[in-house]
Amino acid sequence: MKQSLLGALGTAIFLALWEALGRSGVLGISWPPLSDVLAMLADENRWPLFGRALGATLASTALGYCWGTAAGLALAMLAHLLPLLRRGSDRLAAVLNSVPSIALGPIFLVLLSRESTPAAVSSIHVFFIVFVSVSSGLARATPAHRDLFAVLGADRLKRFRRLELPAALPSLVSGLRLAWPAALIGAIIGEWFGAPRGIGILIINAMQNFQIVLLWCAVVLAVGSSLFFYGVLTMLERATYERFG
Amino acid sequence: MSAAAAIAIDRVSKRFALAGSEEGVLALSELSLSIASGEFVAILGPSGCGKSTLLRLVAALEQPTAGTVNVNGAAPNLVSAHHALGVAFQDHALLPWLSVRDNVALPFRIAGRRVDEPAITRLLELVGLGRFADARPKQLSGGMRQRASIARALVLEPEVLLLDEPFGALDAVTRRQMNVELQRIWSARQITTMLITHSVDEALFLADRVVVMSGRPGRILREVKVPFDRPRDPSVMRSEAFHHLVDDLTEALET
Repeated sequence: MKQSLLGALGTAIFLALWEALGRSGVLGISWPPLSDVLAMLADENRWPLFGRALGATLASTALGYCWGTAAGLALAMLAHLLPLLRRGSDRLAAVLNSVPSIALGPIFLVLLSRESTPAAVSSIHVFFIVFVSVSSGLARATPAHRDLFAVLGADRLKRFRRLELPAALPSLVSGLRLAWPAALIGAIIGEWFGAPRGIGILIINAMQNFQIVLLWCAVVLAVGSSLFFYGVLTMLERATYERFG
Repeated sequence: MSAAAAIAIDRVSKRFALAGSEEGVLALSELSLSIASGEFVAILGPSGCGKSTLLRLVAALEQPTAGTVNVNGAAPNLVSAHHALGVAFQDHALLPWLSVRDNVALPFRIAGRRVDEPAITRLLELVGLGRFADARPKQLSGGMRQRASIARALVLEPEVLLLDEPFGALDAVTRRQMNVELQRIWSARQITTMLITHSVDEALFLADRVVVMSGRPGRILREVKVPFDRPRDPSVMRSEAFHHLVDDLTEALET
């Protein structure tokens, strides 16, 4: 309770500071007061624009999130069950993660369409986080539990299903929580490679046309939606830890 | 070795590799022990004497460096593959995401058998957890968790029950209570049992025979037949004969 009060207080101070700095103009015209940004966000005439952009970005994010999660889960589980694959898959994931998504963009653009590049870049980000979290989660079962399953005569699949997979759930959910913001960043970067619409496009257009307040609106929308889903996933994580931790 | 032996340990040695040491550590040396069907044997010894290693060999969790271990005439790994071993460790090893009932049902699921709900209910009653069937392990006290883990060890009516200091982490009072309970539960089933413990009282109160081990390398120092009739009342622990045996074994442990 005290902590959330302090958190609210900190946020309020931050927002007030933002407003004051914007009003004073010490940081130049590229730092508008918060109230101008909120006023534009509240302007009904702009809602169709914001709605289309946010809708497109969230759709790409969700698609990339699902694909990345599926791929990360599948590879981590496969590598866990087939030790032969373990080292190779670790390397593959590490290499994929070390390639900047800016560099991958053009390749996706050639391989896929402009519309699906955001989801593809997003899925790469998610894939790595989910792969790492599931891989480490599957190794989390305690030696005592492993001994128990061995003495009870569990084969590898039974041990996987009844011990390792449930033990990996908290770690998976933590990964899912961290993966959402990464998925959103991936989608926005992907949009810069020529997607027809999205928050990323809004950001670029606003920047090139020097529409500073619009630029900040796009950023606030991105941050707000990211925080919202992050919050939802944090609650899911807490529930999972309560049950499986 | 008698034909009726349920657990036959024949001249078993176990050497563990040790970093920086050529010959490693000799945990057990040429140890032979035979446990008859339906017999309750307690292995008593100081920590690090290899008594847990001995149990892990019978549980097929370790392989002997030399010698053989047989459980009802078969290699231990075959016995565990047939889901015929019951085990309880010092760590209760209950799965935190399952209820007590589902934890006790786990051996059925691992064995791919139909879960015998009435048997689980009876067993939970027997170990005094009837009212806590739907609780989760973290809601239980340490003693209750060990009861659940013992119920889980018994649920498939195993050929052999292996207990590795199951009450080692409990306080003295709870531990004594659990001994009384285990004695009662065991008397109802009389499964061949191997109990690892460093408590002389516990060994004497529960077992038909107490085996004292020496440390490094693990060898058998002494074997004592426990003369008390079953079922044993806790008052037996206050008898002259009991105290005499306790002194005797404590002395053997200290040499």
